[in-house]
Amino acid sequence: MNKRQRAKLSSTPGLVKGPRSRAMIWSIFGLMFSVMLLQNVNATEVAPVASQLQQSAQDQSDSQDIWGDDDWGDEQEEASPWLFSGFAEAGFGAFTQHNVTDKQQSLAELRGRGEVSYQGEGYVVTAKGDLLADGVMEQLEFDARELNLAFSPLQNTDVILGRQVITWGTGDYLFLNDLFAKDWQSFFAGRDDAYLKAPNDSVRVMQYVKNITFDLVYSPEFTPDNFITGERFSFYSPQAMTIVAPERFPLLENYGEQYAVRVATSIKGIEYALYGSKGYWTTPTGIYVEGDNAGLAYFPELHTYGASIRTPLASGLFNGEIAVYNSVEDSRGDNPFIANDQVRLLFGYEQELVKDLTGAVQFYLEHTDNYDEYVVNSLSPETQAEENRQVLTVRLTHLSKRQTLTSSLFVFYSPTDQDGYLKPSMTYRYNDNWTLAGGANVFWGEQDYSFFGQQQDNTNLWLRLRFNY
Amino acid sequence: MNTIIKGLIASTTMLIAVPAVAEQLSAEDIIRNANLASYYAGDDGRAEARMLIVDQNGNKQMRQFNILRKDVADHGQQNMLVIFSRPTDVKGTVFRVEKHVEQDDNRWLYLPALDLVKRISASDKRTSFVGSHFYYEDVSGRNPNEDTFELQTASDDSYQIKGTPKNPDSVEFAYYQASIDKSTFLPMQVIYFNEKDQPMRKMTVLKTEDIQGHTTVMHSKIEQLSDGSYTEMQFRNVSYDLGLPDSVFSERSLRTPPAKWLN
Repeated sequence: MNKRQRAKLSSTPGLVKGPRSRAMIWSIFGLMFSVMLLQNVNATEVAPVASQLQQSAQDQSDSQDIWGDDDWGDEQEEASPWLFSGFAEAGFGAFTQHNVTDKQQSLAELRGRGEVSYQGEGYVVTAKGDLLADGVMEQLEFDARELNLAFSPLQNTDVILGRQVITWGTGDYLFLNDLFAKDWQSFFAGRDDAYLKAPNDSVRVMQYVKNITFDLVYSPEFTPDNFITGERFSFYSPQAMTIVAPERFPLLENYGEQYAVRVATSIKGIEYALYGSKGYWTTPTGIYVEGDNAGLAYFPELHTYGASIRTPLASGLFNGEIAVYNSVEDSRGDNPFIANDQVRLLFGYEQELVKDLTGAVQFYLEHTDNYDEYVVNSLSPETQAEENRQVLTVRLTHLSKRQTLTSSLFVFYSPTDQDGYLKPSMTYRYNDNWTLAGGANVFWGEQDYSFFGQQQDNTNLWLRLRFNY
Repeated sequence: MNTIIKGLIASTTMLIAVPAVAEQLSAEDIIRNANLASYYAGDDGRAEARMLIVDQNGNKQMRQFNILRKDVADHGQQNMLVIFSRPTDVKGTVFRVEKHVEQDDNRWLYLPALDLVKRISASDKRTSFVGSHFYYEDVSGRNPNEDTFELQTASDDSYQIKGTPKNPDSVEFAYYQASIDKSTFLPMQVIYFNEKDQPMRKMTVLKTEDIQGHTTVMHSKIEQLSDGSYTEMQFRNVSYDLGLPDSVFSERSLRTPPAKWLN
C-alpha cells in the first residue's frame, strides 16, 4: 500500500454493508434453511447422541476407564448429518500510551460463536455466526461469518454459494494476488488470526481438470477491507498533517462487481499458480475532487494479474509471488487523487531451525509505476512512500509443552519507510475447551506518516480467553 | 502433526498378514515385512481414529479424525489424507501427505477458518503429531533406509530386532528394540533407548483385529517413560481395497473432504 493510499485510508469511516448485500445474505439464508427443513429431519438425528463405544471385553479392560465417558461423538450406527459447535470468548486490550481515539481500549468484547452444518446428499450447508458485544464500538452486533451452500453440480466441479472466507497466494500476512477482504482492525487489535480474513459474499466455482485447479470467484458486490478509520485506531491525515481519529470517515460505498480467478497445479511437489482479478482496490485509494461526491474517499477500479511458486528447498520451503496492479482509473499515474499502478514482489523461505522452533523470512517489494508523475502531482510529496517500498518480515514460532504452548514472534520492518511492527504472542491451550492467549502489537517509525509509523500510538497489549464447545 | 499421522497410518496398516516364513529371515527381511504389514496393507485403506493424550498431571486431550490412504507402490510412495472432526478448534482441519521413500515427503495442512492451504516443510519428522506422543514418522512410517538392523533373538512367536540410526543426530534416541510378531510381522512393542541404555519411550500394541485378511492394529499406546505421559490411539471402521481414486488425494479434498469415502 503506498502512502497516498494510506493517507486516503485515513479518512475512511466504518464499513457498513450496503442494504443490497444484506438482502442477498438473508435470502440465501432463507433458501438454505428451506433446503434443510425439506430434508425431513429425524428428531433423533438432530442432537448428537452420546453413545458408549462398543468395545470388546479385552479392549474395555485396558482402556474403558481412561477414555471415561468420552465417546466418538456420534452414533456408531448412523452418523448425524448435523454438526453443532462454537466458542465463547472474552477479549481485552489497551493502548500502552495515550491515543487520540475516543477509547483508550483497543479490545473489550464478549463474543459467542455458533456453527451449524448440515451434510445432505451431495451438498453441505454451513452457517457460522458471531454475536459480539463490543465495548470499544459500544454496540451489540451479529456477524454472519459463513452462510453458504456447497455442492458439486458436476463430477469435477465444486461450487460454494454465499458468504465465505477465501484465501489464496503464498505470503504470510502479506497479500499480493489475494484481493479478498481483510480485517486489519481485528489483526491490529489482537483478535484470533482467523479474523484477519473477512468473509465475502460470493459464488466460487472450482473446476478440477486432471492436475489443474481452475478457481473462479464472482462477487456481485466486493467486500472491502476493514481498514483503519479512526473508530478503534488512529492514523495519519495528510490534510491535518497529524495523527487523527475522526468519528466519521467520509466514504462512498461504491461496492461494484469483482471477478477473481486462479489456475493452480502441482508438478513433482512444486506448486505453480496464475492469478487474475477485475474489480476494485479493497481500500479507498481514491478521492473524488469534484461533483456531488467531492471530498469522499472511494474504491477505484483495479485489475490485477500475477503468478506464484512454492517448492521445497534445502530442508525448508521457498515461495515467490508477483502481482501487477493496474489502477485503470489512473493508468498514466498523473492523478494525485487515485492510486498509481504497482508491481508487487515477494520471496519467502521457511525452515525448522531446531526441534519445535520454526523460522521464516520474507522480502516484499512494492514498486510504484510512473513515480515521477506521482511525485510531481502529489499534494504532499514529502510524505509519499518511496518508488520501491521494501518490507522484511521474520517469523519465529516455538511449540512447547506438547504443543499446548505456542510462542510466536512476527516482525515487519521496512528499511525504506524506516518503520516497523512487532507482533509477539503466546497461546496456551489448557485443554480441548479452554485457551488463553496474550500478546502485543507494537508499532514504531521515524515519521508520523509512514505505513506503520502512523500507527505508533496504536501500540497495544491484549489478552483473550476462549471456551470451545 | 506429522507424527500422529504416521503413527496412525502405522497402526492402520498392520493389515498385511505375511505368510509365516522360516527362521532364516535376515533382520532386514523382517523389517521389510514389518514395514509392509504396518503401513501398506491392501492397496488402499480407510479408518476412523481417535487419540487420547494424557500429560504427566493426568490432564486429557482428545483428537478424532478419519484417515484415507492409497499406495502407489508397496514399500514406495503413498498418499494420505487425515481429516479432523474433533475437538472444535481443529474440526475441518485436513492434513495431506505425499509420502516418498527416496526424497522428502510433501505435506499440506488446510486451516478452514482462514481457507488457508499451508505447506509444511518436511524436516520435522520427529515432531509431535497434533500434540500427541506419536511423531509424524510414527504415523506414516519411518523409512527403513534410515537405520541398520540386527536380529537379536527369535522366540517361538516373535523376533527381537535392534534398530540403530545411521545418522544419530537426526533423532532423539540412540537405538530401539522392536518385538515383531512372527505370524503377522506386526511390531507389537517398540522401546526407544538413549545413549545410557535407558528406555525413554515405548510403543505398545494393545489390540489387533483381522480385517479382510490383514491383521490390523486397532488400539495402541505410546508412553513417555520419563514422566509417565502417554497417548492412546484407537481405530474403528477400518476397511481395505476400497478402490479410492487418485483424485481423492488432491487439493480439492482439503476444502471439500470426499464425503463419499468417509462414511
